[in-house]
Amino acid sequence: MSAYGALLDAVRGVHWGARRAVTSPVAGTHHSKLRGTSAEFTEYRLYRQGDDPRRIDWRLLGRSDRAYIRLATDRAVLPTTIVLDASASMAYPVTTRAKWRRAQEITIGLAAVAHADGDPVGVAVHDDRGNMRILPPRTRRGVVSEIARVVDGADPDGLDPLAPALASIRSARMVVVTDLLGDADDLLRAARVHIVSGHEVHLVHIVAREELDPPHRTMLASDPEDPTLQRVLVDTTRIGYDRQFGDWRAEMARRWRAAGAAYVEVVTGEAASHAVRRIAEPASTVSTGAVRA
Amino acid sequence: MSWLLPSALGIAAVASIGAIALHFIARSRPLAEPLPTARFIPQRPVHARARSIAFTDLLLLLLRVGAILAIGLAVAGPMFGSRGRVARVVLLDRSRAVGSAAELRDSLGASSRTSDVVIPFDSAASIGAAAPDSVSLTGARGSLSAALAGATRAAVRAASRADSIELVLVSPVADEEIDDATARLRATWPGRIRVVRVRAAASAAVAPHVEVRADPNDAVAAGLSLMGATAPGRAVRVVRGLLGVADSAWARDSGHVLLHWPASDSAAEWTRRSTIDAIGGVTAGGATLVARFPRVWVLEGTAMARWADGEPAAVEHTTGNGCIRDVGVLIDQASDVTLRAPFRRFVSALLVPCGGMRSARPASALALASLAGTGTLASSDAFRDPSTASSPWTPWLLALGALLLIAELAFRRSMSRAA
Repeated sequence: MSAYGALLDAVRGVHWGARRAVTSPVAGTHHSKLRGTSAEFTEYRLYRQGDDPRRIDWRLLGRSDRAYIRLATDRAVLPTTIVLDASASMAYPVTTRAKWRRAQEITIGLAAVAHADGDPVGVAVHDDRGNMRILPPRTRRGVVSEIARVVDGADPDGLDPLAPALASIRSARMVVVTDLLGDADDLLRAARVHIVSGHEVHLVHIVAREELDPPHRTMLASDPEDPTLQRVLVDTTRIGYDRQFGDWRAEMARRWRAAGAAYVEVVTGEAASHAVRRIAEPASTVSTGAVRA
Repeated sequence: MSWLLPSALGIAAVASIGAIALHFIARSRPLAEPLPTARFIPQRPVHARARSIAFTDLLLLLLRVGAILAIGLAVAGPMFGSRGRVARVVLLDRSRAVGSAAELRDSLGASSRTSDVVIPFDSAASIGAAAPDSVSLTGARGSLSAALAGATRAAVRAASRADSIELVLVSPVADEEIDDATARLRATWPGRIRVVRVRAAASAAVAPHVEVRADPNDAVAAGLSLMGATAPGRAVRVVRGLLGVADSAWARDSGHVLLHWPASDSAAEWTRRSTIDAIGGVTAGGATLVARFPRVWVLEGTAMARWADGEPAAVEHTTGNGCIRDVGVLIDQASDVTLRAPFRRFVSALLVPCGGMRSARPASALALASLAGTGTLASSDAFRDPSTASSPWTPWLLALGALLLIAELAFRRSMSRAA
């Protein structure tokens, strides 16, 4: 946990507001679809049979001879689950594992922000035996530390798809931290189900700098999740690679946004705290979209 | 500089060329490196021709070639210790063929240095003998074969401190010093020989007058008398019975030749053969006597006569300044073989002075040229035993090769990790 100390300090004060009104009955910091009698006045409504007479604004009645009741906006919590991709493609580059490291930091950073907002937060990640480890959303004091332990205990070396995990989780807000190099289509399909259900879905697309700009030398590139896939990267094929990879990333961003998710591309060169801010407070940062090479 | 195993240099060169070729050939198919986004690379054949040479590739090649060359040099065994140094071996003839010892010493002083190896020789070569200045003549017959064998032994010792070895022969090079083995031994010396010829001794003519102690009707005595050789008080005495103390004492005088030629098998106390056989001929000095002779004894010594099957029939032993010849040829007293000319020729060979007939006639020019030879000095490499010789540089070169191999391995792994 001490490894994330600087990150947690950097994201202190960041608020992660809901993108739309939530329907949680538990009081929290997000705007609730349910209207109640909190102190924040929003509007008057004509009294209808069945309303609580104690909600009648008597002053307005005296002025207008009509019975109105006061309506106020309620705030609710937004249970959040962060789904972390632990496939083999996340362990890149081989020496630094920058993609995995950045994904871990973003997961911890977002968990801390959500927890600071009073929202229950949990995590789902495949462990080293390939089993999906799910920590249900909690608001208790040490939940961020628990999430950090679960995340640190995972190792990106499997080929397990994320879509089934996403399909099995029920949270009002879900964040998928992935490089989209696995079951991207199935993942989008599962995310659409949640979006249609009224849940909030964020897609954090992790891209390594070395994937945007591979070493400038002849290399026989091999997919770590499919060793039979080998391609020669030379000067003449690099142009095609840059174009295809860029087009694919743009397509992913378009499709996820079109589905109603919040799409953010994070390159490993970007500081984790900055990425967390972009995800949680998109209006307060410079860029909010995909970063093309 | 010389090499213990020069062929290793060629092998190392070929291996280096092979390593260089494999380095560039292998690079056309680089090692697979992980890249999760490899699917976006347009598909091309794996053996693409495009190449880019990096400094790290050249460094790796240099490490590999350096290791191969270092190991090859180590196996080749460089010898730097004696650059261009020439060791000299001087064969000094002190045999009876030399006419003057003073001339011999003068010639030695003019043709040698204090660091040279001087090997005096007569019938045998003496390595590590007395100081050259004290060399004196012996009465023994000289042998160039023994001298050449001694020179080879000395050259083996000198090979470790010189690149080349010069052989100098200070001798009259007389005919009697050359035997059947001389040419073969000369062929084993891998270089030219400088011959410093000194004056030969005058040949002494041998008068065939002998003193015979035998029974009155002795057949050998009769044959000798027919030769006109019998006369008392001469340098040659033939004793047909057992030798006495006086005979042995007489033989030790200078120039005396005592022939112990038993008339019967009881007249000598030599070692008897396990089985007594008979043989049909005996040869001495080119003369052959054909008859049936019983062979009773086994004789050891310098052969003066041989049976038909090569076994010594008469041998010579040096005693004091003279010699005793044991003649194991039993002649039947009733035989007339001693009355014939072949017997006279046969006996003449047995009556020569001690050491054989002195023939100080100088060797022919052809024989001398053959002995001297042409070409360069003998190389030290020819005298080094490849199985035992070792270069002091070999361990260091092997260590260098090992270090370079370790560096190549470490560098290759660091390159893989960086990739």
